[in-house]
Amino acid sequence: MSDPNLNAGCMYDICITVNDREIRGRVKAETSLLDFLRENNFMDVKRGCDKGDCGACTVIKDGRAILSCITLALQADGSKVYTAKSLGTWDKMHPLQQAFVDYEALQCGFCTPGMLMSAKALLDAKPKPTREEIREAISGNLCRCTGYQKIVDAIEAVARGEYR
Amino acid sequence: MGDFRFFRPTALEELLDFKAREGSKARILDGGSNVLVYIKEGSIPGGTLVDVKFLEAIKGIEVREGRVEIGAGELIADIMESPVIGEKIPFLRDVLQKFANPLVRNMATLAGNIADSSPIGDTIPPLLVLEAEVVLASATEQRVIPLEEFFTGPGKNVLKPEEVILKVQFPVPAKGRGGHIKLGLRKGTSCSVASVAVWIAAEKNRVEDIRIALGGVAPTPMRARKTESSFKAQSLDWDRISNLAQTVAEEISPITDVRGSAEYRKQVSVGLLAKAIRQALGMEE
Amino acid sequence: MKKEYSVVGTRIAGLDEKDKVLGNVVFADDFTLPGMLHGKVFRSTKASARIKRLDVSKAKAFPGVVCVLTAGDVPNNESVKNVVGQTTEVGLLEAKHQVLARERVRYWGEAIALVAAESLDIARDALKLIEVEYEELPAVFDPLEAMKPEAPKIHGNNNVIASWKLRKGDVEKGFAQADVVVENTYRTPRQEHAHIEPESGVAWVDDMGVINVRYAAQVIEHYRDIATVLGVPESRVRVIGTLIGGGFGGKEDVTVEVFLALMARKTGRPVKLTFTREEMGYARHKRHPYVLKYKTGATKGGKLVALEAEIVSDAGAYVYLSPWVLIYSTVHSTGPYLIPNVKVDANSVLTNNIMTSAFRGFGGMQVVAAYEAQMDDLAEKLGMDPLELRKKNFLKKGDVTASYQEITSEVWLEKCARAALEALGDKSKGGKTKKVGRGLACAWQSYGRMTYLHDTSNCWVNLEMDGSAVVRTGIPDLGGGQRESVRAIAAEVLGLNIEEIHVISTDSQVTPLSGTVTATRALYMSGNATKLAAENVKKVITDKAAEMLSVAPEKLDLKDHTVYVVDDPKKRIPLVDAIKQCHFEGKIPQSLATFRAPFTEPISSDVIKDPVFPDFTFGAQAAEVEVDIETGEVKVLKWATAYDIGQAINVNRVEGQMEGGVAQGLGFGLMEDYLEVDGVPWTWNFHDYIIPTSKDVPDIKSIVLESGSGKGPFGAKGIGEPAISAAGPAAANAVKDAIGVRVTHLPVTAERIFFALKGKKD
Repeated sequence: MSDPNLNAGCMYDICITVNDREIRGRVKAETSLLDFLRENNFMDVKRGCDKGDCGACTVIKDGRAILSCITLALQADGSKVYTAKSLGTWDKMHPLQQAFVDYEALQCGFCTPGMLMSAKALLDAKPKPTREEIREAISGNLCRCTGYQKIVDAIEAVARGEYR
Repeated sequence: MGDFRFFRPTALEELLDFKAREGSKARILDGGSNVLVYIKEGSIPGGTLVDVKFLEAIKGIEVREGRVEIGAGELIADIMESPVIGEKIPFLRDVLQKFANPLVRNMATLAGNIADSSPIGDTIPPLLVLEAEVVLASATEQRVIPLEEFFTGPGKNVLKPEEVILKVQFPVPAKGRGGHIKLGLRKGTSCSVASVAVWIAAEKNRVEDIRIALGGVAPTPMRARKTESSFKAQSLDWDRISNLAQTVAEEISPITDVRGSAEYRKQVSVGLLAKAIRQALGMEE
Repeated sequence: MKKEYSVVGTRIAGLDEKDKVLGNVVFADDFTLPGMLHGKVFRSTKASARIKRLDVSKAKAFPGVVCVLTAGDVPNNESVKNVVGQTTEVGLLEAKHQVLARERVRYWGEAIALVAAESLDIARDALKLIEVEYEELPAVFDPLEAMKPEAPKIHGNNNVIASWKLRKGDVEKGFAQADVVVENTYRTPRQEHAHIEPESGVAWVDDMGVINVRYAAQVIEHYRDIATVLGVPESRVRVIGTLIGGGFGGKEDVTVEVFLALMARKTGRPVKLTFTREEMGYARHKRHPYVLKYKTGATKGGKLVALEAEIVSDAGAYVYLSPWVLIYSTVHSTGPYLIPNVKVDANSVLTNNIMTSAFRGFGGMQVVAAYEAQMDDLAEKLGMDPLELRKKNFLKKGDVTASYQEITSEVWLEKCARAALEALGDKSKGGKTKKVGRGLACAWQSYGRMTYLHDTSNCWVNLEMDGSAVVRTGIPDLGGGQRESVRAIAAEVLGLNIEEIHVISTDSQVTPLSGTVTATRALYMSGNATKLAAENVKKVITDKAAEMLSVAPEKLDLKDHTVYVVDDPKKRIPLVDAIKQCHFEGKIPQSLATFRAPFTEPISSDVIKDPVFPDFTFGAQAAEVEVDIETGEVKVLKWATAYDIGQAINVNRVEGQMEGGVAQGLGFGLMEDYLEVDGVPWTWNFHDYIIPTSKDVPDIKSIVLESGSGKGPFGAKGIGEPAISAAGPAAANAVKDAIGVRVTHLPVTAERIFFALKGKKD
């Protein structure tokens, strides 16, 4: 990997641990992390704008919530990435997922996976945020359906300990 | 799609040798929050994308010889959380809090914002009033450029094709306080219409030293030196600030774009400057 | 006494929501098939031009390209009828649409060719190989200019493609009685739907030769349009509607489906087409920008005496639904007020701007910006409290509007307005440079489609042997919870839990057609259809149970899997026993029901003097803002929204619609404008077209009022569109209150406020 002139053609081997599973592949230099994830069937990571303006593609990489559509897949080579599917299952949902359902913090659900990851990153770093801090943390995730009210309510409910 | 390659150097010499060979065909990803956008928009047709994530040489936030030195590879989110910054220059942390949104702050760097050289680059006016410098390195030499001399036009700078930004540095201010006002079209992830940063050292509101920088009102972010002189040695109150701030309208040359008209930028900069000064002086709004 | 229900009217956590938070839902772009190709659309970069030369040969020859289609490849490329994109033909309004531009392009971004290739990268590269030469033609971008006889014509001989009027009383006499008159010209923005999910779909030809299109569709009846364009029988086209990532009218007209079907049929392979964010910007319709000239007169006692208005809407380059949007504007133009003398002239005019069509509010929204600003300005001139003035003029049940429609439901506007204002609490304090203001806006918005359209909706309900149920309904779900409403209604009628109801929806060949999700008709129509079908099924059960229990069927009800005598609950049998007995006797507990909306005659002239809508939803919103008088920036501090929705089916969902309407309406009022300069798009992505983030919308108090007087199931009214209309005007009124001068050009941006303040000083 240290001198690209030694590589034949423009495809690169890559290995990213996604939701605790090693995913290997071959990508172009300019392939985005979002492309890689969706090509490997992580369809819960959504493409809303492909330019980093809407947040639908938010994942957690090495502990930080980032925009996968403007991150190269190769920048995540060797990293640990988590998508919304890592949070829970039908039988055991993550408190954030359960809160989102109970508080109706979603309508169409398209922004929801990205929104959940921003929320998770927030609560991992700051377990008891104020409402203002919650709004700041999700300010990169656009939602057109809910007006954000119930999203903030749901995240606050988890922070308050309603789902312990 | 274009013809792109990828390179992840593990040592600074590797990076600089590569840059010496490839010149501007090698694009540093430095956080990378802009490069992939440009590729998708078609404005970068090809080249090598260089991931500097593992380069220790461009990491670090420290104070050395009275200077705050921030490695080019430091993420804005990390700069904000740095105890060094919190202790020595909390002004910078407050400024960075307004940068884009938390997701972008987890990906972007100061060096990236500087290298982008947008007239509206949010981090630049505050760094200008801190009299920041950029340390540039190539395989053959290092040079230190005052940030004020770095920009040559919209998106243009003095960086040579074989050079990279190593770090951004500025002296720990001996005295004074900063003020920063950003005018945006919405409260979240706001692209600035115009922004003003000031650094004022004052004794009982009498100005000993003042530095003023603006973004979004000229081809490059700029220091407003004429306006600075008009403030020097003045005793400031609310009205005096508003009056003196008028000078700045003559120093700037804004354009009309999708975010606002030239006339608006011209006139509102006066109010932005007044606000920034009042903020620095701790005046109640 | 308000009736209490078991399921209806509670806070329901829907089952679809669970799938969504788990990331399980397969949205349109998440779907793939083996051998799938990727489609791209080649689009015009001129606003008005003749195509002199089009050469796709290099693109066709590019390795990996499987087909390139132009207008000549489309069996029925042109349509001359009322709109590609609705379910029923109506009236005399002619419109020309073309699938792919053959000779002329009329807006920047118009589709010229289609490419299907083995990969998205190859399709993108192939687009660059298409060669086109244009001869630029005269163009017009201002609808007021376009109305002039000398303006270049977009289609045919006249750019004015729809005119509607209101005439009531005598406005001259009316104004003579007025003690105060307010005259203003308002402008409203070209708003973009900006749903987070782009238009997307996959099409394929199945093993029976049927063209399947699985896509984000607000209208699955578009299978008919696909069939028409392709020249195949309607029975050979199937639309499978996905759960949609937001629609708001943006996925109502034809978007990807016709392109997909053409490419799938030509190549014989599955094809996916997903619009880019930029394409959504420059290639898909927007909300009509309006110019509204309003003159309103009132007596010093606060009675409105006259309204004269001229309304012009920019219809863009193609007609689409512009004439209908204008009907809505005209009927709603007076506001929810009784005005004895009314003269309104409304025109919709073609230009070379991007086409405009359906968007939540559908014409009823733009006029609120005018009528609610007028009310506040009148109140100010009269020295009267804004709510006091409105109170004196609100429509009441039984009143007849200026379009000669009787109001048949309760009108709880005063209740809503008071509730909204009170919910704001104490007024925030401003500062030397920050002025705080409050604004109220009341509005009415119809629900249900126009009544001359003979709207119908079908639903099929059947009870399984174990007492669980299946509901089949064609209704699409945009995120507004249409499926969950249907589920809740069936559960209520059949006495089941929502977990026991499986809803299969949105498949044009498998589920009974329920009509569109438009016009705030989904709950009204599909809800009533579901209720009808469920009640028919219930009747089969209660008739049989009546025999088994030896009581009259009317005495029975269903709850918790039992059939019981209401006055003597101990007398009951398990539901499954009744079902079994029904089956033994060949009386299957299933029903396919059709709900028919009441019909009224079509509008008989361009002066609207006929009832047009089934009913209206009334509500109010109140906003508190802080304006920085040095910059013009607005910070929204507080918000309250109050609507009488008749009867909530799912309280969570009603509040959700109301809160979402606040945000989307706040955008219309304060920050959103899709800008085109000489027809060239300026704000085609989320970077430049800005919508409210979580930091732009304050905490919202939602007050749900239930008069029970709606025509929907259980007395419900619709909320989808009503939720948005009053928001922008509330913000605009709040700004006026804060700074003392009105900005009449929405969005009320910082720059506009800044210069308005400067003008005030001078």
